[in-house]
Amino acid sequence: MELTSIIITTHNRPQLLERAVASAFLAGTNVEVIVVDDASTDDTAKICRRMSGIKYVRVDRNQQVAGARNLGLLVSIGEYITFLDDDDVRLPGSLDRQVKLLEADPKAGLIYGQAVLDDQSGQPTPEIYPQVCPQGDVFWKLLGRNFIPCGSVVFRRSCLDRVGLLDHCLAGLDDWDLWIRIAELYPMLALAEPVTHWRKSTPASQQGTSRAAAIVSKSVRQFRQVWQKLPRVTNTSPEMKRHAWQRFSQNMGAHLSYEVLRSLRHRQPAQATKNLFALLRLGPLVFVQLLRANDAHSPL
Amino acid sequence: MPAVSIIIPTHSRPQQLPRAVESARAAGVNVEIIVVDDASQDETAAVCRELSGIKYIRLERNQGVAGARNVGILASSSEFIAFLDDDDLRLPGSLDLQTNKLAAMPEAGFVCGAMLLADQDYNLTGEVSAAPQASGDVFWQLLELDFPVMPLSTVIRKQSFLAVGLLNRHLRGIDDWDILVRMAELFPVLTMAEPVGIYRKPAPYSGQGSSAQSAQLARATRHQLQLFGLPRVQALSKSQRRAIRRRTVNRVADTLLWNAWQRLPEKEFRFAVNNIKTALRLNPLRAVRPSLLQKLANGYRAVAPAERPNVYRQSAERTDSAL
Repeated sequence: MELTSIIITTHNRPQLLERAVASAFLAGTNVEVIVVDDASTDDTAKICRRMSGIKYVRVDRNQQVAGARNLGLLVSIGEYITFLDDDDVRLPGSLDRQVKLLEADPKAGLIYGQAVLDDQSGQPTPEIYPQVCPQGDVFWKLLGRNFIPCGSVVFRRSCLDRVGLLDHCLAGLDDWDLWIRIAELYPMLALAEPVTHWRKSTPASQQGTSRAAAIVSKSVRQFRQVWQKLPRVTNTSPEMKRHAWQRFSQNMGAHLSYEVLRSLRHRQPAQATKNLFALLRLGPLVFVQLLRANDAHSPL
Repeated sequence: MPAVSIIIPTHSRPQQLPRAVESARAAGVNVEIIVVDDASQDETAAVCRELSGIKYIRLERNQGVAGARNVGILASSSEFIAFLDDDDLRLPGSLDLQTNKLAAMPEAGFVCGAMLLADQDYNLTGEVSAAPQASGDVFWQLLELDFPVMPLSTVIRKQSFLAVGLLNRHLRGIDDWDILVRMAELFPVLTMAEPVGIYRKPAPYSGQGSSAQSAQLARATRHQLQLFGLPRVQALSKSQRRAIRRRTVNRVADTLLWNAWQRLPEKEFRFAVNNIKTALRLNPLRAVRPSLLQKLANGYRAVAPAERPNVYRQSAERTDSAL
């Protein structure tokens, strides 16, 4: 089995990091674990130096997640790449199972899997995401919504030579952007079983997904300015394009209204208002559609 | 001899590319040449297949110069990185010269040499763009656009990228300045007087450089405010920061007006108007101050080169970036 590089980016979370690193070593037989310390100001450096067998990269100026992941790519030597957040864990053996499938299908660029959602205290919930795992050409589906948990992905290094690196200005949706660019050129595989634990954010946790309104407006901008201009989209019929936008904006709307309710439940009226305004900005049509189809529930 | 990787991003310039590649090959003994084809739609791929001994990377989707350079850095296997544009040239032996210097001073972030300027047909114009002879901390000069350095003239330690991050794709045309400023904030810089490369000046009559210069300088001036977030700038007092800003804006405005004036005899009116507009937008008061007008009136050639306003020169902007 070829070498797989697990790139763990971390910023000021030394307690959680150790758990993530330990899980990375158990995930596969031939792995290289890279910890990119994104300018942490606490004792992360000390703790990393104590860990044996890892490649430790210290970034002096904070890069945010995507920039740090790119630097992890720069020092990695594995043929396969996977990202892991410092507060998530990989399940034992999961990497080997995924890499085996990916090796068996040389055309596929990427394999993803399911994630078990954890609550803030790290306790697993019964929820698994995504419930269905489409395979093959998932480009159009992926344009509509990001159903790929970042930590569940293993992709070929050679993909990057054709589509470029992560866009480090897209904090929060850099992974989605990369999956879309890969899916445009490669078929995808999925392993329909949990491969990672994913700590759910709450409106109070200040984690990535709790800034829903900001991320949605960034996604909309990215959709209009970049994704919509990918050759596969521009070469298609206007109907198909309209359809892609509709699905995208509906999902964004669903996600936002879910976030509105959630922040209200967590007594965060300011955040709820922000999300509500972002929802209104998506367009009045989205609002109407939402009232019709009331299944507002989707983590981004 | 330490190994060095030279990264040549290219986009639809198959005529010039082989020449750049050959110059890179002659520039050092142990050179890894990486050509990153940024989704060219022409015969670039075929041309590259005929070049031997290069690592050819084909991007299917246009990433812009910075994005292509990043992919090249990712594919490189040496500790030292050099960049070369597809229409510029490296001088023979120059990579070895610079790499040796950089290897001898492990704390330096990058080394920069001088550039010879050439016209569109690679005829040297006699102009030399050299970094001032001041190795060490050049952060402030770089930040104030007062330090002529371009990717063509530098060799960068790969380790420096790990400290400050990769190139920013969204800074069209100024990604190299941005990264060098960030590196100079943390590391001393080596400079040398020997020329290391030939920079092909953008053609005055092609659209290439005409509006590009003013737009790039305006972008650089705007982006400087972002760079003010760097810890060393933040440590300054407010008035010191304001002084840096004032000097930069003045220098940029002067340069724009100066170049506009210089191009007027060539009837480059669009270029001139663009420059004047940008200068006025940057600093209306400064742009019309009597001493500068007087200097302009005295004529460009009457003024000694050292007194000519100048800022960090930008490489010819490409028109391809898909942002």
